[in-house]
Amino acid sequence: MMFITINTGGEFICFLAAFIFLIKDKDTAWRLFIPYLLLTCICEAMGVYMRKVAHIPNYNLYNVFLLLECGITSYTFYSLYKPFKNTGKWLITWYIIFMAIYLAELVMNHFKSFVSITASVMSVVFVLASLYYYYLKLMDENFERLAFSAPFWWVSGALFFYFGSTTCNIFFDYLSQIKPINNQLSIRYYIFILLNIILYSFWSYAFLCRYLQRRSFSS
Amino acid sequence: MQISSEEIIFLIGLTSLIFLIAPLFLIIYVVSYNRKKKKHQEEKLLLQKTFENELLKTQIEVQEQTLKTIAYDLHDNIGQLLSITTITLSSIDLNNKDKAAEKLAFVDDLTNRSIKEVKALSRLLHGEELVNRGLAAAIEFELEWLKRSDKFKIHFEKENFGVFSGDGAKETIVFRLFQEIINNIIQHARATEIFITLEQIENAFKLIIRDNGAGFNVDETLKRKTGMGLHNITKRAAMIGGIASITSTVGSGSEIVVTIPY
Repeated sequence: MMFITINTGGEFICFLAAFIFLIKDKDTAWRLFIPYLLLTCICEAMGVYMRKVAHIPNYNLYNVFLLLECGITSYTFYSLYKPFKNTGKWLITWYIIFMAIYLAELVMNHFKSFVSITASVMSVVFVLASLYYYYLKLMDENFERLAFSAPFWWVSGALFFYFGSTTCNIFFDYLSQIKPINNQLSIRYYIFILLNIILYSFWSYAFLCRYLQRRSFSS
Repeated sequence: MQISSEEIIFLIGLTSLIFLIAPLFLIIYVVSYNRKKKKHQEEKLLLQKTFENELLKTQIEVQEQTLKTIAYDLHDNIGQLLSITTITLSSIDLNNKDKAAEKLAFVDDLTNRSIKEVKALSRLLHGEELVNRGLAAAIEFELEWLKRSDKFKIHFEKENFGVFSGDGAKETIVFRLFQEIINNIIQHARATEIFITLEQIENAFKLIIRDNGAGFNVDETLKRKTGMGLHNITKRAAMIGGIASITSTVGSGSEIVVTIPY
């Protein structure tokens, strides 16, 4: 029972949504969300196990997961920009910059803490990527009903999550030092519960939109 | 002043909340802008439909003009020729061979003239195809017909005028504009000479039609209901991104310059 938290529950529901709605999707970027969300659920469960059962720090697990998160999210943004412009070179450049910051921080921390600076930089880049998508969408002459636009809801979810988590990422070191609320969970945990609910609700809805779009095209 | 950790936590929570409100407003903005885009697209579609309707109307008017010309020609030319032929034939006295031969020769001439007229009419019936051959050719053919009436002295100039856009819809509308202007001159101007110039200028072409008729007060005519024809000319020119400027002075003719970009 200890593995069932709001975070793991939300992630699992989103994984189920991805599995049901995207299994037959022709776009690789969208289909990648099925293994990605499955790995997110496993990682979250392992994180809970390490923290609550084994009583060992789980930062290394989240350090590895950050690589996956950056890889998949960046690739999705790249595929969403595709109808407007080819940003292949931007993607490769960003991957190189990210790896450089990530490795530098890991070495500086002697592999003994979470790479919070890299996570902050990544959040800022994804916020900018979301804003750039909105810009492309506004500049595009073609009209699309945003209420049923899968890319729009996916980007909106990402924007909420990464913009909202900026403060927590900036104050990560401070928050990990202070005493948690009720002696149980930190403010960071509560904020991330809220952010995860928003992110996974938006993404689940985006997957549903993608499914409906595919259905309407095939019928 | 020392800030307690509770206060810092509260501030972090508040900042995070503000950071969540900002994207919300951004999304609202994007969605409302998108709605405006939809409205703009609908208006564009409506404009396109209006243009198509107007083009269809123009094509019908070109056809009507052709049919009118045919009707007049059948009545005034071929009809008259055939009537004279019948009268001449019925007046032939076979006993008076010299007179009969003379009359038969006249009938032969009348018949040949009728055949010529019918051939000309047949060419006119294919008038709609004229526009496909190019605007200049269509205007030339229309003027040829007008010259036959001997009512006007026609001066037509076209210098270095090629195909201006390859846009059939534009050419049809311009041809109809030309027809409307010529009709106005025939019906109202009391002119004896008509000057037509087709010019190709930078990224545009000019159609200038001038007459030496009675002229009129442009502003007053545009205000009156009778000015609908003139309104129609300016409206149609604007529809294809052009301008029709009308200048006229009472007693010294009028000039209409149509400038169309291509």
